[in-house]
Parts: sequence; structure tokens; C-alpha cells
Amino acid sequence: MIDKIRRLPAYARWATYATIGVLILTLVQELGQNQTSHLTATSTAQTALKWSIPILLAGLGGLFAERAGIINIGLEGMMILGTWFGAWGAFNYGPYWGIVIGAIGGAIGGLIHAIATVGFGVDHIISGVAINILGPFAARFLSSEVFTGYQGGSVTQSPRVENVDKFTMPFLAGGYETPNFLKWLGDKEIPLLSDIGNILRGILTQTSWATIIALLLVPISAYVLWKTRFGLRVRISGEDPWAGESQGVNIYRYKFIAVMISGAFAGFGGAFISIEMSSIYQEGGTTGRGFIGLAALIFGNWRPGGILAAALLFGYPYALQFGDFDGFASHALLLVNAIALFGVVIWALRNDKRTDAAIAFVLGSLSAIWYFVSDTVPDWWVKILPYVIVIVVLIFFAQRLRMPAANGQIYRRGQT
Amino acid sequence: MTNAIELIGITKRFPGVLANDNVNLTVKEGEIHAVCGENGAGKSTLMKILYGMQPADEGVMRLFGRELSFSSPNDAIDAGIGMVHQHFMLANQLTVLENVILGAEPTKSAGLINFDEASSHLEEVGKAYGLTVDPNDLVETLEVGERQRVEIIKVLYRGAKVLIFDEPTAVLVPQEVEELFRNMRELKANGATIIFIDHKLEEVLEIADTITVLRQGKTVATVKPQNVTATDLAELMVGSELPKPQISESSNNNTIALALEEVSVLGDDERPLVDDVSLSVNKGQIVGIAGVEGNGQHELVGAILGTQEIDSGSISLMGEDISNQSVRDRRESGLGYVPQDRQDEGLLLTAPLWENAALGHQTLRPFSNGWRQWFIDKVGSRSQTEMIREKFDVRTPNIDVSAHALSGGNQQKLIVGREMVAQPSVLVASHPTRGIDVGAQASVWQQIRDARSAGLATLLISADLDELIGLSDSIVVMFRGKIVARLNPSEINPRSLGAFMTGAALETES
Repeated sequence: MIDKIRRLPAYARWATYATIGVLILTLVQELGQNQTSHLTATSTAQTALKWSIPILLAGLGGLFAERAGIINIGLEGMMILGTWFGAWGAFNYGPYWGIVIGAIGGAIGGLIHAIATVGFGVDHIISGVAINILGPFAARFLSSEVFTGYQGGSVTQSPRVENVDKFTMPFLAGGYETPNFLKWLGDKEIPLLSDIGNILRGILTQTSWATIIALLLVPISAYVLWKTRFGLRVRISGEDPWAGESQGVNIYRYKFIAVMISGAFAGFGGAFISIEMSSIYQEGGTTGRGFIGLAALIFGNWRPGGILAAALLFGYPYALQFGDFDGFASHALLLVNAIALFGVVIWALRNDKRTDAAIAFVLGSLSAIWYFVSDTVPDWWVKILPYVIVIVVLIFFAQRLRMPAANGQIYRRGQT
Repeated sequence: MTNAIELIGITKRFPGVLANDNVNLTVKEGEIHAVCGENGAGKSTLMKILYGMQPADEGVMRLFGRELSFSSPNDAIDAGIGMVHQHFMLANQLTVLENVILGAEPTKSAGLINFDEASSHLEEVGKAYGLTVDPNDLVETLEVGERQRVEIIKVLYRGAKVLIFDEPTAVLVPQEVEELFRNMRELKANGATIIFIDHKLEEVLEIADTITVLRQGKTVATVKPQNVTATDLAELMVGSELPKPQISESSNNNTIALALEEVSVLGDDERPLVDDVSLSVNKGQIVGIAGVEGNGQHELVGAILGTQEIDSGSISLMGEDISNQSVRDRRESGLGYVPQDRQDEGLLLTAPLWENAALGHQTLRPFSNGWRQWFIDKVGSRSQTEMIREKFDVRTPNIDVSAHALSGGNQQKLIVGREMVAQPSVLVASHPTRGIDVGAQASVWQQIRDARSAGLATLLISADLDELIGLSDSIVVMFRGKIVARLNPSEINPRSLGAFMTGAALETES
């Protein structure tokens, strides 16, 4: 069956994966001990999408850099620059310009990384770490110079800024005073179908244009990287720059541009945090999402669709905490976890990987036992979940991941 | 016939080296012109200049009578020069089509690649010269010969009229070489001009219309193949007689030093990479392993060394079962190893020579001392390194320079010396003379021969068939992980060995 799904066209394949995901959530609601409709509630989907966007943007940023062969561990620092410049731009010129200026702020970080790694051949990790140190200090310095002069601003935060406009889908989600089909479907309380209705409604209701633009960047990135001349040359820079050079491609140029795009995407992600999520620049507002974006890049196997899936997966547990007053939904994630791990057991057995199957079985059983002997989970559980997912995925699927062949290597023209 | 290329008085200096010294080369249109010389004779530098990868310091280049100067490969490509690289310049994860069109992508609006136009153009080019490949295959799925075809098509796709082949036969077995030569003659018949870089003399004599010989950066002679013999060419190249791999009478003393019994190694997909291999090496014996790269030799070496887990079978060293020992234990009990890639596996390029000399022997005197040999003995290490330097003729200003400052041949001599002075009972030598010049090659051969007389058991893996046949007391051929033939080197030649390596001889026999 897995092979059949793999052969579907991209949109159908992803729709199938998403449906399987929702099916697991439905099963948990039906089988679980407690009332956990919060798992597939409209508000959960809405928040999850929002929380996923910065991770997605950081991941896509990482994609451009690493497809060009430059490891960008400085995404976090570039994102921080994005939060500051985004807020500053939004405060002075409105939220749309805020996003543009935030992206430019991130691109400045990308420029520094490009000059160091591409221009001078500095080790990518060293340069990235330097940018991660530089980012927060630059933001604080700028705040002390600029925001302290504003009403409501200080060295650690900006004044409030406006959000980008929102969009609600007509007919499906009842935008522009049209009928609300998905709400009707959700209220029917049919297993699976209503859950899908609720989730889609969450995605299509009151969606920020910034979110829509970020989501559009997924197919656009795929298109640019795999269908255009620019994309081919970026990819050769990451796969085998010497081959590209021998055919007259100016590798430096493509690496440079790709790293700046990378910074701009991370900056957009940072601006999204300031403008859309907190309506304010706050020191430390990124909370390490640049790094989670990097994890999403690996999890997503250096492909845009995979990065989106990973971002949603990482964003979901965060979103679940909001409005989960009794803690039952977070608790139910243990069962979701267990089901997913038992799925891995089946996959591993079919591929004759007995060790993997055994490990997955033990982890899945532990998760299930924890679920059945308790009623709530401590709140750190949900916080560490994204990291747990990353570790589990790396344990079982690391061999299937394929990063660009020359990723992280220092390229110098004329030296083969 | 007009002159396709004229290089007049080309000079190129690198820090401390005169790579090209007033080189002259005239290539006529529509001929196959061989440029030969030893490693380091300046062939590659000359071609890099011609292909725009490096600028010449002095000299004039003319292409079809027009004086040109290139600042990048792009200029050379535009002028109609194409290079078929020795190390394939192909990205494995990209398709054949993507690799071919790179740098000259046909586009629709907005930089969008017109893949239809590209693949039909590729097909035309392929048909015109009788070269077929599937444009949608990933390069990593192709075999060596096919990859080379892609390299050639890549150059033709860009409309090259002059093709430079940089040691194209280095990676091929004899049968594939024939195929390549057919392709080259086809290209010539279609009006292409070919520059063929090589140092294998029989090949040069077979294919070339004109031969130019370089030695130490200078042009020594331009000759016609019908007027010279291989020996003449060799003497032109080296300036003296060419050394040959050869061993004296048998020094075999019937004590088994290394024995493998039914050793199998499985890959990630559970397919055997090494399949039920049994072989033994006696003291004072050299056993050669022949095989096209990727037929399990690498894994076999790993299994002996301990870096590759074996799934069944056993390995013993001097009668002791070492199948479950760690690499460290195996090395300490007398296993020497010359890795196939000296820069990747053999040396720490940025570390000084004396540290490199300790690698693999760091837990033994004189490289370390104290409680459980925990401390590095700098004095002992340095004097040992000085000894290696003298005895093995490693040419270096001192032993504190880092390893990347040494030429390939001297790096290799350091590695061989390092293994030999430890007086191993078994030596595994993987491509011990790959990519080094004739002088260093002769010296490495001499070391292996001397050690053989002293009773060393050697397992020799090499792609150089002359070396294998010349040095080995017996040869086994690996094909798809199995040993498919055990041959006596005195009864075979490179051609017949090549037939075993590709499996061709097996099919006709069975």
C-alpha cells in the first residue's frame, strides 16, 4: 500500500498522508479514556498552523542554503534580526512593510554568512554560530538606540504593532457572509469527516495573509529549485560545485544568492513572530525556532513538502496546549505517539529491520503504558515533544535521508 | 589541414614549481593528438590553461588561427573547446539530462527550463555520434562506462569542436577502453578534433595520429606513432628506461599468515557485498585481488581490517582468529594497511609529518610510552619519523611540515614507510601506487618486493593490471562480491584478466 501511495501525484500523496494523520487523531478520540475533542478542534488547527509558520519559514530558509551546499546554523540569529526589523518596520510603515523589512533584516544576516563562508571560505558552523551570537546582541543594541525613544518601547521590547489583514474562505468557512459548509460538517459529529471539516475550517478561517504567503512559498520553492535554471545551478552548487564550475557556472554567485534568500526567509519567519504572533518585538521571542526549522529541514529530507509536514508536526503540540484546560488532549498525545510507533513497528518488520522494530515496540509500549496509568501529563512533556519526534525520526529514518552531496564543504574556485 | 590549436611558448609558474616551461603544441583539425608524459610532467596544467581554468603566465593560444585568451571555462566552451574530465564531473543525485544541460540550459520565459527541448537536443547529439543514454536516469545508477558517455555527450551538447580527454582510460577496464576508442574514432570521423592525455603507451600508440611528449614541463618531442615503439616513447617520457613491476623467484615458505574462510558481508539491503570468500596468503607471498571497482574489494579490505562487520565466516592472522577483534587489536597483532585514498584515509593533511607517521601505531613504542602507552613520546616519534624519511626517501624540508605540503608520491612513500617499519606480518595494500609518478611507483614496488623477500605476506588490491600481474605470486578475481577466478600471473595478460573482471570470460565458459 505504501508503494501505491508513493506513486500518486504530489497533492494526492500529501492529502493521503494528512488523512492518515487525522484518522489516528479520530481513533484516539474514539478509543481514549477522556473527552479529547480538542485534538481536532477548529481552534487547535488554527493555532497549530500559525505556530508552524515560523518553523516552516526557517526550514525553507535552510533549504535554499543547504541545497547550495552552505550549512546555515545561523538561521536562529537571522530570525532574531527578522523579529527586530519586522517590528521596527511594522511600527513605522505598517505590517506589510514590516514583513518586507524583516526579511531584509534576515537577508543582512544571510549576507554576512555568505561573505564569510562563500567569500572567505570560513567553516560554515563557525560562521553560523557567530551569527547566532551576533543576532541577539545586534537586536538589543538597536532596541536601546531606537525603541527606548518610543512610547511603550524598551531595550527588550518594541511598542505594539498591527497585524496583517485576515482572510476567511467564502462558502467553505463562511467568509464574506456566505454559508459555512465546514462548520455544518463539523457540527454533524461524524467520525473522521467532521474532524477533517473542523481542521480545514481552522485553516481557512481568519487566516493571515502572511500565513498564506508563507504557505505559497512551499510550492514556489519547489518550482524554483527543480524547474528553473537558477534552481538547477543552486542545486549543482550543493551537489558537486566542481562539476558546475567545469561547465562554466559561477558557483560563488549562486551560493551567495541562495544564502541571502535563506536569510530573507528566516527574517520573514522572525517578522511573522513579531507581527502576527506577539504583536510586539520581544527579546528572546524566537525561542529557538530557528533551530527547530533546521530540524524540520532534516526531517523533511531537504524537500519543501517534507519541511511543511515537519513544521506542522512540530507546531501541533505547541498549539494543543492552548485551551487544553483539563490537560486531556496533551495526555492523549501519548496514545497518538504509541500508535505512530506501532506503525513504525509494522514498517520495520516489513523491511526486515528487527532491531528497529524492537526499539519502536518498546518505546510505543512505554508510551501506551504511560497513557493508561495516568490521567494527565506534566506540561514539559508537550514542550519536549518536538525534540523527541526529531530524535525518534533520526533513529529510524536517518539512513533514508539524503542531504546534498557537497553540503558543508568549503568550495574554492579552481581547486578540485 | 588547418591547425585547430596552436599553443606557443606557454609558461606557467606555481610557487616553487615551473609547471609549464615554454611548451609548444600544434594540433591539426580532425586528428587525435596524444599528449603524454609522467605524472607531474605538466600535462594537466597545460590542459587547464587550454580550458580556461587557469591563466598562463606567458605564451600565445590560437584556435583555428585566431588568437584567444580565456578567463574561465565558459570562454573556452564558447570557443568550442570541451573537456572530458578524468574524475567525472557529474553530480550523482542529478539526472543525466540535468548534468548535461547545466550551464547551457534552454529556457522558456522567467528562467524556466525547457526540459522537452533539452532532451530532444540531447537525443539528437547522442544519435549523431552513436552515444546512447537515458536522459532521465540518475547518474548514481550508471556504470563507469555509461558515466563516461554522459561526460562526452555533455561536451558535445555544448557544441565542442575540440575535445580534451584527460586520462579517460584510467577508470576503465580493457573492454570499456575499446568501446571508448570506437567512440573516439566515430567522433573523429564526424570532424571533431581530439586531444588525448594519457601515459599508457600501448593505448597512445593505438589511437593517436600524432604524439607530443612532455617531460618536466617542457615539450620533448612530437612524433608519429608509426615511427616509434613503446620503448622509445617511454624513454622520451622518463628520460631513461622505464621501471617495471617484477618479482624474483618465489620466496613462498608455506606458513599461512592471513586466512579468510567463507567470509560474507551483507549490505544495507541484505544483498551480499562480499559473498563467501575464502583465501589465504602465505608468508613471503603476494596475493593480488583484481576486479572492477565496486565488486566488493573495498568491503573485503574493511572486513580484514575490522572496519566492516562480517556477517559470517572467519578471519585469522598468523593462526589466531581475529574475526571478533577490534581494529586496534588487529593492528597491534601485526596487520599493516596502506589505504586506497591516502588523503582521506591515510593522512591527517593539516598535521605535521611526525604525527602522521604515528597514525595507526600510536599505541606502540616508540610513538608512545608510560602507563598503558597513554602518553605520546614526542622524541621517539620524531626520531622514528626521521628514520622513515631517510630509509624511504620521503622528500621534505623537515618533519614538521604538514602532510598536504608533500607531493602525492612522497605522501605515499611516508605511508608505506610507516607501515613497513612497524614490521607487520601481513600487509593489506590497497592501490599502493595510484596516482603517483614513475619514480615513486618504482620505490613503492621495491619496498613491497624487499618486504616479500623478508617474509611479509601481502594482499595487493590494484586497478593497475600490469602492477597486479607483475607483482603478484597469485591473483584472485572478484566479481559481484565473489571470487570468480584464481589465476597464475605468469599465464595471463591484462586483456585476459580484464575479461575475467567484467565477467565476460565466465559467461563464455559456463
